[in-house]
Amino acid sequence: MSNIFEYNGSAVVAMVGKECVAIAADRRLGMQAQTVTTDFKKIYEMNNKLYVGFYGLATDAQTVSNRLKFQLNLYQLRENRLIKPKAFMHMVSNLLYSRRFGYYFIEPVIAGLDPKTNDPYIATMDLIGCPMETKDFVVAGTCSEQLYGMCESLWKPDLEPDDLFETISQALMNAVDRDAVSGWGAVVQVIEKDQITTRTLKSRMD
Amino acid sequence: MEDYRAPMEHQWSPYSWNGGTILAVAGEDFAVIASDTRLSEGFQIYTRDSPKTYKMSDTAVLGCSGFHGDVLTLIKVIEAQQKIYRHTHQKDLSCESLAQLLATILYSRRFFPYYTYNILAGLDKKGKGCVYSFDPVGSYDREMYRAGGSAAAMLQPLLDNQVALKNQAGVEKEPLTIDKAVSLVTDVFTSAAERDIYTGDGVKISIITASGIDVKEVPLRRD
Repeated sequence: MSNIFEYNGSAVVAMVGKECVAIAADRRLGMQAQTVTTDFKKIYEMNNKLYVGFYGLATDAQTVSNRLKFQLNLYQLRENRLIKPKAFMHMVSNLLYSRRFGYYFIEPVIAGLDPKTNDPYIATMDLIGCPMETKDFVVAGTCSEQLYGMCESLWKPDLEPDDLFETISQALMNAVDRDAVSGWGAVVQVIEKDQITTRTLKSRMD
Repeated sequence: MEDYRAPMEHQWSPYSWNGGTILAVAGEDFAVIASDTRLSEGFQIYTRDSPKTYKMSDTAVLGCSGFHGDVLTLIKVIEAQQKIYRHTHQKDLSCESLAQLLATILYSRRFFPYYTYNILAGLDKKGKGCVYSFDPVGSYDREMYRAGGSAAAMLQPLLDNQVALKNQAGVEKEPLTIDKAVSLVTDVFTSAAERDIYTGDGVKISIITASGIDVKEVPLRRD
């Protein structure tokens, strides 16, 4: 029980393309060495242009996503509009920091398009809410080093949605194949201004 | 002003971590082995010009990274053993034999290990490219490619994808050429230098073929 982040095992990655973003995650849920399920949802839809994935302890991922949806629903009712991704990032950051000394064991990965301008946006943060916005890709996972290596080599700017799908899939699949506690399939969502494509990949099932 | 900190016991460690990444790829009739040239400790850089590959013979090059003190001693011990072999048998050690020798040397220190990550690359007795990778206590295996050292986790999956074509269905497997191998090695080191603080400054690539060992040096990020 050395590292609580590695108890369930997970890998999440998000990338920016040409007028689109993609977010992908593996599907394994384990209890250390034992695999419990191979269809565990790690990416949650916040609205039709905003998705968030979580790395870390599964119970905290579910709790935080529920709390976040609750806060987001209130925001949407009050403001009568869809939230901007950057504002959502601040909402997540605030939620995590509110537990500064009793933190959630998760790292979120946010991917979305601006509701009006459709500008792509990705961000991640640490377990107490320090945000990191980038223009290329964000990674989180038990295999984060592997993911960094793959993304750094494979990513290039302005990839079309189909190419972005191939790039993010290869980055995730090859990285999780070098990690014992993540893998067992993958889910990839490509978000464009007028459609979202969700694909489930079959990878090495071990 | 006094330092108000609780007393902390520091246990002295005989080891230290000096960083460095090594990588080797075997082709049909050649092998490529590369290492970065940075030597560091913590956030300090000792030197930007300390390659981690050492020529063993005309057909074998050894890459060693980890604790530099143990790297230097290990190289000394191997070179001494090679000298004895050359005097006794009037020939060089083959790559396969050198691999087994290294494993024996490493295991002889099973209970106070050499803190080194080793990769041996060269041509086997039949002239085919070979790569042997080791753990610090001498467990070894022959492979087609291997990354070792501080950025190993970043490089290994990319090699799986580009050399072994894993997770790529329906792609024709073409034999790896020297130029493709060298450009792949340069690209992965550039990526590793971006994300790993211990990797950078330069990369030294040794290309081992039947006609000898060719060396290329490529600069990397110095930050």
